[in-house]
Formats: sequence, C-alpha cells, structure tokens
Amino acid sequence: MITWTDEQRALRAAAVDLGAAAGKDHLDRDAAAEFATEGWALIRESGLLGLPFPAEHGGLDADLLTTMYVLEGLGESCRDGGFAFSVSTHMVSTGIPLRRFGSAELKQRYLPGVCSGGAIGAHAISEPDAGSDMMAMRTTAEPDGDHWVLTGSKSFVSNGPIADTFVVYARTGKPGSPSAISTFLVDRDSPGLRVGTPIAKMGLRTSPLGELFLDGVRVPKANVIGSVGAGFLILDHVMKWEILLSFVINLGEMEHRLRRCLEYARTRKQFGQAIGSFQAVSTKLVDMRVGVETSRKWLYDTAEKLTARRNVTTDIAITKLVVSEANLASALAAVQVFGGYGYMTEYGIEKDVRNAVAGPIYSGTSEIQRQRVAAMMGL
Amino acid sequence: MDADRITEITRYVVAEFAPDVRPDELDPDFDLLDSGVVDSLGLLRLIAWLGERHDLPVDELDLDPAEFRSVRAIDAFVESALLKGATP
Repeated sequence: MITWTDEQRALRAAAVDLGAAAGKDHLDRDAAAEFATEGWALIRESGLLGLPFPAEHGGLDADLLTTMYVLEGLGESCRDGGFAFSVSTHMVSTGIPLRRFGSAELKQRYLPGVCSGGAIGAHAISEPDAGSDMMAMRTTAEPDGDHWVLTGSKSFVSNGPIADTFVVYARTGKPGSPSAISTFLVDRDSPGLRVGTPIAKMGLRTSPLGELFLDGVRVPKANVIGSVGAGFLILDHVMKWEILLSFVINLGEMEHRLRRCLEYARTRKQFGQAIGSFQAVSTKLVDMRVGVETSRKWLYDTAEKLTARRNVTTDIAITKLVVSEANLASALAAVQVFGGYGYMTEYGIEKDVRNAVAGPIYSGTSEIQRQRVAAMMGL
Repeated sequence: MDADRITEITRYVVAEFAPDVRPDELDPDFDLLDSGVVDSLGLLRLIAWLGERHDLPVDELDLDPAEFRSVRAIDAFVESALLKGATP
C-alpha cells in the first residue's frame, strides 16, 4: 500500500477542488457537446497540466504515481468526464513523447506550452482503414531536404478540433514493418494541415474529436520525435502513460459513483425498506466495490512496476482491460440501482454509461489488449 | 560481438518466430523486421525477453527498432546496454 505525503495530498486536494469547479454545468455542456473552456482556464491556472514534466520547462516534476494520484482526485470530483479525458489526452499525447524522446530543442520549444496548457495537444494515430492495426497506416512522410512531407488523413483525433499541436504518426518505411512508423510534431497552422469539424459521438461529448487532413504538410526534420522508424516503440511508451493516466481518472469516477449509489441505496425506500437491504441491489454495489479495488490494484501496481523499470507489456494490457471493463460495468450497475431516475438525463448517471462505453475501445480495444496478452504468452 | 549471445539470440528468434528454420540457416544479418519475421507484437515480446534475460530496464532505454533489425544488431544492442550499466 502506498503512503502519500502531505505534499501529494495537497496536490490531490487541489485537483478535487478544480474538478468540482470545472465540472459545473456538465449536463448542459454534454447536451450541447461543448468543451469546458472555463474549466480549461482553471486547470491552466492551477499548474496541474505540468504535473509529470520537468520544472525547467514549467512542470511540477511529479513522478508517475503522484501524477496518477492527483488525476484520480480529478476523476473523483469532476462530473464532466469529457473534460477530464481531454486533460489526460493533452498531457500524454504531446508531453509524454516529448519528455522521453524529444530533442533538447523540441522540449524547450514545446513543453512550456504543454505545462501551461497554452498549446493544447492531440495525437493523430488512427486512420479510416487502420485502427487497431496501426502498422497498416497509409499516411506517409517523405524526406525532402531539411523537411519531411506528410500526406494522408487521420480519424478519431481526440482534442483535434481544439488542439494547437499535433503529434502525428506516419509511415516512413516498408508497410507492416515495426520500424516503418515515425513520429512528427506538427503545428496547427502548418500549410496543408486541415482540422475537420467536431464529430458527434455517443459519449465523452465534451471532449472534441475530429479528423485531421495532411496535404503535403512540410515538417522540419528537427520536429521528428525520437529517431526515424521509432514511432511504434514511442507509441508503445505513450500508451502506457495514456492507459495509466486516463484510466486512473476512471478509477476516481468509479469511486464517486459507488459512493453515490451507496447513499441512494441507503435512503431510497421501496416495500417499506431501503433498497440496499435487498440482496439483488447490495450485490451490485459489492461488484462495483470489487471493480474499484481491482482497478486500483492493477493501476498502481503496474505504475510501481514501470517506475521500477520493469517490463509491463502484459501488465498494461491487463490493466486497461480490467479498468475499462470495470468502469463500464459500474456505470451500467449505477443506472440499474437508480432505476428510472438513472435512465433520466438530469441525474447524470446515464451519461456515465455513454462515456464508459468508449473505454474498452480507445487506447487499444479490449480485443487488442487480449491479443497482446496472448502474444506475450507465446500464442 | 559475443558468439555465445548470438547463438542464444538466434535460437530464441528461430524458436519463437521462425520455427521452420534451423538456427544455422538464419543469417545473423538477415532483416527480421522488414521481412515480417518479427512483427510489432513480436518486437514487444523480443524486447521483454531481452529485458528479463539480461536484466535490462527496457522501459527506460531509448529503444530504436533498428537495434532489433537482425540477430547481430540485437547482440550489439545488448552489449551496448550492458556497457552503459543499463542506464538510459
């Protein structure tokens, strides 16, 4: 069990306060599919976007575990799940690959914007015909003097419509080869880059998502993150952080949801007694608790193992499977516990289901995570 | 270059990714990645195996797929990582 210091607790408390404020009017924004611009201004002011980044670039120099602990607090208090998702997407999409693989010059130029939130980040990976099979991507980068020329299109770019900086993964080698993908940092105002309009979706509606079109976009060679051909391994590193940071927010959301359901089950009476006294209801709450505890264990154990510099390829896949599916099960159970009220939009319970459905899809589907575990077992 | 390590890496690659090939048939300079012998998931398995076998902090090393392109390249990667004292 991890013992948190006063400093870590203070950071988390700040995130809890921030999340409550940023989540204000979440139902209206969900209905309108609007990003919380006021919430973004608040989180920029707080400095929390710089949690895992070096102080010399404006960050807070927090380690992985601290960053997760603080973001769990954000998830616990922020009822705007789309906003929290955009926050983690911003941190991991541009900041994490830069922090680990970026040149000194790229860090100097771009990390301050990541830490302050002045330059919203997004990464562009999936394509119309290359989702789970990222090695089949068709977006290409061709060398031309001091530049690379990027051509192609990307789908499902979270934060795309509001992003200032994109990390674009494109093919530079033989199709299918693990050394065929490279990683490029691309400014939104680059000639030839066009951001599509926000795409309507089932959940996480307050986190804008769109397409990205690259028509001969010239990117300086200095904007390559890591070495040419290292894109697959860079993305593998980014996905570890994305899964830990994004899904620890889900853990916070599950904790909040469980508390809300417990309170309701203790006070809502039917047949003359609290509904929580019926085993059919209490077992749902127990399953929600098991989901919370199992998720916590996998998230923090995997983070500790990663911090200890051990290989977590299998662990991260299991973590993602466990937490995303527990979150979805928890959200569905909450609707059932609240019955008709849970189904009504005004209670904000049904929104959690729509949000949670995305979990087993993004950052590698549940099917892909199982395939990864199978591959690691030599199958 | 470490001949014993090259033999060991060759045996692993053949056993895991090319079971129809005899170890002595695999050229140590054969391109494992572009040939499709080692795909993306295979690369992750290979890296995990190297990390366990040689106690390397693979998640902390600045990995480049080119370092895993052939048996000889993998051997050079391991040697370099061990020489660095397994620090990034």
